[in-house]
Amino acid sequence: MDNRWHVFISSGLVLVAASALAADGSPDRELSLTIYNKNIALIEHVRPISAPSGRQRIEFAGVSAQIVPETVSFVAPNVQLIEQNFDYDLLTPAKLMEKAVGSQVRLVRVNPATGAETQETAEVLSTVGGVVLRIGNRIEVLREDNLPTRVIFDKVPENLRARPTLSVLVNAAKPVNEVARLTYLSRGMDWAADYVAVFDEAKSTSSFQGWITLKNTSGTSFANARTQLVAGDVNLAESEQQWWNYFHQRRNSNQRSMGTESSGRQQLGDYYVYPIKQLTTIANNQTKQVSFLDVDAVKASKGYEISFYGFQSNSDPQSAEVRMRFSNSKAGGMGEQLPSGVVRIYMRDARGQPQFVGEDHIGHTSAGSELALKIGDAFDVTVQPTLAATRMITRRKTEYDMIYRVRSARSSASVVTLRQYGLWRENSVIKESIAGRRVDSSSFAWDVPVPANGEASLSFTISNGW
Amino acid sequence: MREKALLVLLLLTGAPARAQQIEVVSPQSDSVSVTIYRDLFALVTETRTVDLPEGPVTVSFEGVVETLLPASAVVADVGRPLAERNFDYDALTPNNLLARSIGKSVTITRTLPGSGKVVQTRATVVAANDAGITLHTDLGNETLHCSGLPEHLTFDAIPGDLHAKPKLSIQLAAGQPGKRTIRLSYLARGFAWKAAYVARLNSAGNRMDLSAWITLQNLTQASFRGAQVQVVAGKLHLLAEEDRGTSLTGDTDNFYDEQAMDEARENARQRLQNELEPKDPTLQLFGGCYALPVPPERADRHFEEMQSLIVTGMRRSLMESMDVKRSAMGVVEAVREELGDYQLYRLPLPTDLNARQTKQAMFLVKPRVKVERFYRFEYSLGHVGGPESPPESVIAFKNRKASGLGEPLPAGLVRVFDVDGESEIFLGEASMTDKPVNLPVELGVSKAMDLGLEIDTTYTGREELREQNLRERVDAEVRAFNAKTIPVVLELRQYIDGDSVLASSTDLFRQKDGNFVWRLRVPANGTRVLGYRIEWPELPAESSN
Repeated sequence: MDNRWHVFISSGLVLVAASALAADGSPDRELSLTIYNKNIALIEHVRPISAPSGRQRIEFAGVSAQIVPETVSFVAPNVQLIEQNFDYDLLTPAKLMEKAVGSQVRLVRVNPATGAETQETAEVLSTVGGVVLRIGNRIEVLREDNLPTRVIFDKVPENLRARPTLSVLVNAAKPVNEVARLTYLSRGMDWAADYVAVFDEAKSTSSFQGWITLKNTSGTSFANARTQLVAGDVNLAESEQQWWNYFHQRRNSNQRSMGTESSGRQQLGDYYVYPIKQLTTIANNQTKQVSFLDVDAVKASKGYEISFYGFQSNSDPQSAEVRMRFSNSKAGGMGEQLPSGVVRIYMRDARGQPQFVGEDHIGHTSAGSELALKIGDAFDVTVQPTLAATRMITRRKTEYDMIYRVRSARSSASVVTLRQYGLWRENSVIKESIAGRRVDSSSFAWDVPVPANGEASLSFTISNGW
Repeated sequence: MREKALLVLLLLTGAPARAQQIEVVSPQSDSVSVTIYRDLFALVTETRTVDLPEGPVTVSFEGVVETLLPASAVVADVGRPLAERNFDYDALTPNNLLARSIGKSVTITRTLPGSGKVVQTRATVVAANDAGITLHTDLGNETLHCSGLPEHLTFDAIPGDLHAKPKLSIQLAAGQPGKRTIRLSYLARGFAWKAAYVARLNSAGNRMDLSAWITLQNLTQASFRGAQVQVVAGKLHLLAEEDRGTSLTGDTDNFYDEQAMDEARENARQRLQNELEPKDPTLQLFGGCYALPVPPERADRHFEEMQSLIVTGMRRSLMESMDVKRSAMGVVEAVREELGDYQLYRLPLPTDLNARQTKQAMFLVKPRVKVERFYRFEYSLGHVGGPESPPESVIAFKNRKASGLGEPLPAGLVRVFDVDGESEIFLGEASMTDKPVNLPVELGVSKAMDLGLEIDTTYTGREELREQNLRERVDAEVRAFNAKTIPVVLELRQYIDGDSVLASSTDLFRQKDGNFVWRLRVPANGTRVLGYRIEWPELPAESSN
């Protein structure tokens, strides 16, 4: 609605380009948005401009209110750019009064008995802790008497703005009737992927819908924009942000192996590009979602996992984690790389209605990767650790006898993958009731089968030393 | 005049873009299902029937819950390609209305004191932001609400992109025309449920009647008529709000234990309840003025309004919850089914779930469940000496059919009552975590009265134990005093420290869950003594590596 450029001559608010506007209709001939998933967007406006010759100021209406002013680039043929300004001193009643210090205002008072209006001229002396006025040769504090008093200001200071405003000071040798290109980076535009997975445990498949969710909090609406979304980690020079990214990558342990497949997606350097097909309007405070993935039957299975980080007993059994394992490979039924986002997982209840069961985050995931998304904790599958005995073999070596009691109240048999951490440099399994495997230098894993409505136990002895 | 011309122009240029897209509005749902989770949200599933034209169309769903999470919305059974989905929430608030009116004409209405004359003036909005409103009138520039005169603004029109209610809309490609039933589902914040149990012990203290209640709460301002309501008992993995997740209490993996999670949930619930409290729209108007003494009567009025608002809100919800309690006494049980690895409880009949309402339903009644009552004392040798804090009174049972139970028990508070002749005594309460079938349950209900403990320990060090090849030895004596007129069972649980072994004991013991455990019968008005010895073997000599 507000995508309109007003071309003003700097001396006052005289609209000179009104006729050009009326003929043209749309302020932007073209508008394109490239939105990165780091709360930043590259915005390009292509607009016709008309202005008389000479030195003048051009104001841009309808640009993002969260513009990063130092990134603005303005290019128009036959126009010489002198300076660029971004004014964000907002016009408020308090500032209006502050800027009036030393100048004249008019006071309109109403007689409380008769309702008759009287006007006086006053000089503003101070606005610190109350407005002090000089009226003729009296000094008064504004509205100290609590009587209604209107204050009329003759003009609004030029550098106080209704909203942040971008303007350029230009010089044109002859009257201008050109197409200008304005590009800048803006905050307040963000997108992320959102996935909906409906998991069918019985069929060992899951459907996947991928949505790009775009959020515009820039304070400005963008009409009929050509929009593309870029997935990838754009480095922003903010140390805290980078620290967070690092943290998130490390935390993201649900990716079990990295894929090496490519999909047919458009690539831009190290980034993937998701263009939105038609021109789209993104209103301020709007959340817009565009579909980019819709696959019906991806092979998926459920698994129980639990990790222990030391050798201890616990009188409270712990719930096993429930994970959904799948691959985004071609063979698995997907063959698409997945931009970073939140996967919300649903399962159908007894009446066939999908119910929400949990969510997990995925990083940018190349096609062919193995994923194990955490759904939640199992109500009916628990593991209780007992440290049966500790033997100190030497001062630097201890043997631990562990018994893990796995219980299931489920109506079908399950397998729980149990992982033991808490190992020092020299470690080995001396004895085990079920054959396990070494996962890495600091953990072992066992797959423990547990019958329906029953229990199983895993016991092992680990020698742990340094 | 110039502004008027511009306004007309704006409307004209805005028009063609709108006209090409046909909009079908779905004002309400045909049926609705609400699934409430423990983590302060619900899954709302609605069916809506819409009459679709053949061409491309925008379908707008009105009356969705305001707290919905746009990213979670799912639209199914549409029958044609879905181009995009929008959630518009530029709310029609006084502030937004003013912000959109910058440069436009409005009418100021003032009531003059004394005469009471009403004066209307046209003005242009020069600026409107959090700090106040500046207007241009034919006198010059002035600010609103700073003069002390009763004044208000009237607007000519409401901008099209401001919405009284949040609006979810989808854009569909061309397709088969006709009536279609669409399924719309989304997650929305502002719902909660908890399980609560009442256990009534028999006079012998070996059986209990157990009943369990679901208390669910709708904190939002949305009402659901004839809704299918269910609750899910399960620990869902949820991400923090700042990671675009659903949890208001941070990543669910970050909690040390369930108690910490419960506390965080309760705090978030209270915050949410305050946030969703209906607000007086007049309080939201821009308030700022230049530095001037604010007339006191205005400030007072606002304060009073806020207070009365909160009080009535509280009273209403309180009354509702009491009504529900009264009417629910004869209610049927909620039906359980498995949902993945969780338990789902369905209220058997469709019900009205009203705004800001608390509802209760029974989900379990189990008479005469076998229980055991005893006293327990858990300790570690390093932390005892002399008189100890009193043991805890425990109600224990096995969650299995043979004991008269054998049902999944979602986490909740258990309140225990004892029957003393005709009257009931409240023994105490304990919070219970999720208990699947077959797991033992032990609830610490209260601290013992008239049951005292003393533990004396004697340490012997390595120097005196060289011959026995030990590095440390502790001799412990436990004395239990019972001032009750009945004998009691006391279970002592001593934490096993590293490679320690129990060398001797005056009484039978067993090793369980990392503890040495003794069960002692303490006679009525009597004393019971236990003695035992714990030893740590000497370490072998350092091996060659």
